Amino acid sequence: MKILVVEDDKSVRDEMVELLNNASYEVRLIEDFNDTLGQILSINPDLVLLDINIPFMNGEMLLEKLRKVSNVPVIMVTSRNTLSDEVLSMGYGADDYVTKPYNPTLLLLRINSVLRRMSNVNETIKYKDAIVNIKKGTISLDSREIILTKNEMIILGYLLGHKGMIVTRDELMTDLWDNNEYINDNALTVNISRLRSKLEELGLRDVIETRKGQGYILL
Amino acid sequence: MKFLSFLRDKLISICIYVFVYVVVILLFFAFKVDVSLMIAFSFLYILSNIIVLMFEYYSRKRFYDELVYNVKVLDKAYLVLETLREPSFYEGKIVYNSMYEINKSMNENVKELSRQINDFKDYIEMWIHEVKIPLASCILKVHNNKDKFSDDMMLQLKRVDDYLEQVLYYVRSENASKDYLIGKVRLDKCINNVLVRNKDYLLEAGISLNVEDLETTVYTDSKWLEFIVNQIINNSIKYKKERNSFIKIYLKKFEDVVTLIIEDNGVGIADSDLPRVFDKSFTGSNGRDNVKSTGMGLFIVKSLCDKLGHKIDISSKLGEYTRVEITLSKNKYYDEVR
Repeated sequence: MKILVVEDDKSVRDEMVELLNNASYEVRLIEDFNDTLGQILSINPDLVLLDINIPFMNGEMLLEKLRKVSNVPVIMVTSRNTLSDEVLSMGYGADDYVTKPYNPTLLLLRINSVLRRMSNVNETIKYKDAIVNIKKGTISLDSREIILTKNEMIILGYLLGHKGMIVTRDELMTDLWDNNEYINDNALTVNISRLRSKLEELGLRDVIETRKGQGYILL
Repeated sequence: MKFLSFLRDKLISICIYVFVYVVVILLFFAFKVDVSLMIAFSFLYILSNIIVLMFEYYSRKRFYDELVYNVKVLDKAYLVLETLREPSFYEGKIVYNSMYEINKSMNENVKELSRQINDFKDYIEMWIHEVKIPLASCILKVHNNKDKFSDDMMLQLKRVDDYLEQVLYYVRSENASKDYLIGKVRLDKCINNVLVRNKDYLLEAGISLNVEDLETTVYTDSKWLEFIVNQIINNSIKYKKERNSFIKIYLKKFEDVVTLIIEDNGVGIADSDLPRVFDKSFTGSNGRDNVKSTGMGLFIVKSLCDKLGHKIDISSKLGEYTRVEITLSKNKYYDEVR
């Protein structure tokens, strides 16, 4: 997945690149804002993180022009947090909107969900031989079906979206909170061990590994 | 204007009138003037003096009475000059013209000051947006280099952001201009944003959340409401009790309005402090005893609520709970009709 960062502040830009790189996205930058629109089109990214205050042309105008020629998903970023900005950005066709300073984990979640919306992920995801039905909140293998709680489903969904990558507890926690499940540290541990034993019941033994001090990984 | 006071003011003139009268009468006696002439003179002299005094009195009384009365009843006393006619007598004219000049120079002064204040507010607002850029950079840096920074770093940066927001909204709440836009807002989204923003803070404080189903739409400005809720949640975190603390968030739905209730089991507010929690710079015994407090948070919350047309109430029992109730309208026309 190729993400283009349109941001004129160098230090924010550099950190953003690192954040996105760590989340294993391919990152592109714009450093010369003379022909921002042309550059966006030639880079042809999967998603644009667009700052409202960029030189030469403000982000909203740029978005309006971009929308005439492209449907690339855009997340607007701004430090001005007035409603009118939000209304305007959404009106011009932004897919989401975050204000500076943002919670980095949350920003990643938003990017993730915008990309997911674009790719129209099916309701069911295949994992090894099991079928996970996100809407129904079930996981089935052969003829056995196990019902997951909402929390377990959110955790499993996140792990599935980051298969083979280390997922931190903070990411899981942020995703849970973002979905109105305000659980604490202990409850997260409990939920993960319950999820593990449910997967084990289906014969999926030791698929969620704990990486000490880092997080979890779905094999 | 009182007649007796006026006479006391005219004491010297009256003394001179009386003195002249006595001298003339004595002269009349010395020159053995006819008594009827003396009577006629006395009558004319006294009458003319009384008429002069009365005329002077009434012409002044009309102007000054109007002045005094209007100053008293006008809610903006400095506009009194606009309500008066220019007086016909000389000293009144002097007063009137001086007042006009004073007013003019004061207006210029006030205009200059309010221009300065507005410039300053604009600058502050701009500055906050500027400073958020390096702050965003810091937050990203801390996030990207978790091994190098302690977890507390992120919380401290969040505190900086919260304090910045407070200044921003203070400037906005004091501004005459309409900086907000009332629209249809998903209340549950709004609350979720605030809670996610405070996630680390709440987890660190060990506060458990009990959030009921908040799915409803209200008419408000989402950013302002988020600020308001953020302040209240932050207060709950600040004034929590050592153990088993929780925050409960739920709704009471009525026909036209929704009441959002944020309740905690924190230290509470003393009865004597309760009526003053919304006052500017009021810190109360909680603010003085426990944590540093500016006494601005709830003041700003209250003025934002007033501007948005939301009703806010706080009830509390010392050592038991604090309950904040915000009543928002569900119906677009409710606010306008009211």
